[in-house]
Amino acid sequence: MSAVNNSKANSDAFLAINGVTKSFGAVQVVRGADIAISKGEFVSFLGPSGCGKTTILRMVAGFETPTTGRIVIDGKDITDLKPNQRKIGMVFQSYALFPNLTVAGNIGFGLKVAGKARAEIDQRVEEMLKLIGLPELSDRFPWQLSGGQQQRVALARALAPRPAVLLLDEPLSALDAKIRVSLREEIRAIQKELGITTIFVTHDQEEALSMSDRVMVMYQGRIEQIGAPFEVYNHPKTKFVANFVGTLSTMEGTIADAAKGSVDAAGTRFDGVRLPAGATNGAAVTLALRPEALRRDRRDGDLSLSGEIIDVDFLGSVIRIDIKAGGEKLSLDAFNDPTTPPPAIGETMTVHFAPDAVLTL
Amino acid sequence: MTRLLAWIAFLFGALYFALPLIGMTEFSLKMRRGVYSLDAYVKVFADPRFQETFSFSVMMALATIAFGVLLVVPTAYWVRLKMPGARPWIEFVTLLPLVIPAIVIVFGYIRLYNTSSFLPLTGSTTGTNILLMFGYATLALPYMYRSVDTGLRTIDVATLTEAAQSLGAGWVTILSRVILPNVLIAVLSGAFLTFAIVIGEFTMAALLDRPAFGPYMQLLGANRAYEPAALAVIAFGITWACMALIQLLARFAPKPAKPVKE
Repeated sequence: MSAVNNSKANSDAFLAINGVTKSFGAVQVVRGADIAISKGEFVSFLGPSGCGKTTILRMVAGFETPTTGRIVIDGKDITDLKPNQRKIGMVFQSYALFPNLTVAGNIGFGLKVAGKARAEIDQRVEEMLKLIGLPELSDRFPWQLSGGQQQRVALARALAPRPAVLLLDEPLSALDAKIRVSLREEIRAIQKELGITTIFVTHDQEEALSMSDRVMVMYQGRIEQIGAPFEVYNHPKTKFVANFVGTLSTMEGTIADAAKGSVDAAGTRFDGVRLPAGATNGAAVTLALRPEALRRDRRDGDLSLSGEIIDVDFLGSVIRIDIKAGGEKLSLDAFNDPTTPPPAIGETMTVHFAPDAVLTL
Repeated sequence: MTRLLAWIAFLFGALYFALPLIGMTEFSLKMRRGVYSLDAYVKVFADPRFQETFSFSVMMALATIAFGVLLVVPTAYWVRLKMPGARPWIEFVTLLPLVIPAIVIVFGYIRLYNTSSFLPLTGSTTGTNILLMFGYATLALPYMYRSVDTGLRTIDVATLTEAAQSLGAGWVTILSRVILPNVLIAVLSGAFLTFAIVIGEFTMAALLDRPAFGPYMQLLGANRAYEPAALAVIAFGITWACMALIQLLARFAPKPAKPVKE
């Protein structure tokens, strides 16, 4: 069973993945995936390499067959349909544009295969070129385009036949950082404009959090958590999600008083921490803090911790300061103030945080 | 010093290759006593047997190319896509015609497909022509397979196939509209090599008693002096023209879609 079970909701979902497993020989790469995706929703599959996210995507596309389980789109079981009968658009990491065809030829390929009339194909290609903002490049060949342009064309090609579902397999991975950011905004805008149900596979948490209606975090073939980006980031359900999504500083501690939420960690007692139900005095607990939860200024009710600055990273708008306190390393993100230089390594710093900001793992 | 030795080696190699050709070409031009002339070539082109055998071999070459493409392109594609583990075995099989003499192959054919066999192909002209075409395809297999396989190596076969499938294309469409156009230059290279092999092939055509260009060259060589030299130059010319066409066409190959740096 997966950590998250959506099977109840699966019956009314536009795209439902019901109890899907996949094994390659003796290795099970997907372990009981249950996902329900609504019409028009943008869902990201997030996880490290080899977690099974791409395998699920490929099963939806029809390039892999589930070992067990069913895949349903708009009430129709497509598990046994061939890939070319599924009406699914797919964008690949390596663009996969046909080198022998022009941009217009690539975009119109699916329509030509479907036997559409020449005039209809031309009109749709023109629409798609406008949609991706490249109307002047219709006669170019793929090798004459930049990576970003190629990926836009690949997106237009996938959308041209009006697929029921759009699958994006790490489409931004091969692009430069700046192009990646602008293209992800474009992809999201196009997806919203067309209202197409979309699955986006990525190992980049920033991409997943910024683009998605919901994020599904996977690890070792299991779904760890599915939820809105805010929920997944702020309320991770498992230790893996907490560590994988965003940066997290952890402190190993012992529960001193479960009723008061008192925990001894990093040589300090912290009171008012929200402990999990059933926590008992003397039990070990891991406290976790996001860098943005730590502050240099103190507010009422804050918990505090002093330590030595061991590293300062200037990241432009943000300065990341690492301090060592009671044997634990904590990271703090502070906005860059042009009038105040960053603190120096070796200085002592006291950091403050609200008890509510402490996650217990 | 090393450079000088390299040049000497190169010149020696070039002369070793070029001198017999120059000598033969010069001899082919000496039919008329005391002056260079194209008399030998005129006689060859005017010979109805030349026209008949050359036309026959060209037709056989075209049929062999068509059959070879239909056989090799889907096979090489399928091996790359679905059976990568079988590649060494397939390569071994395609290399066999290089180590098995043509005479062995053709004797095998005659034994298997003679008039008293289950499939008496040698019993009719058409049947024998078909058998000869299969024989030529076998001889050309190492070159055709390697050309096509090299072409397939330059494209991402698996991803292009999946992209085409996701756009609704079936296997025939994928092969004809995606794979073949992208390996067309490689296929044409294999086709020209096949053409060159078929035009000059002697053993199979002679033993199957077909009026091909190879046996005609041999016949002429046994009975005339200057015409065989002219024929050899013509045959060389055809082969070189094929090679030149391969080089020329390589310039028009679809370029892989590597992203331009932004």
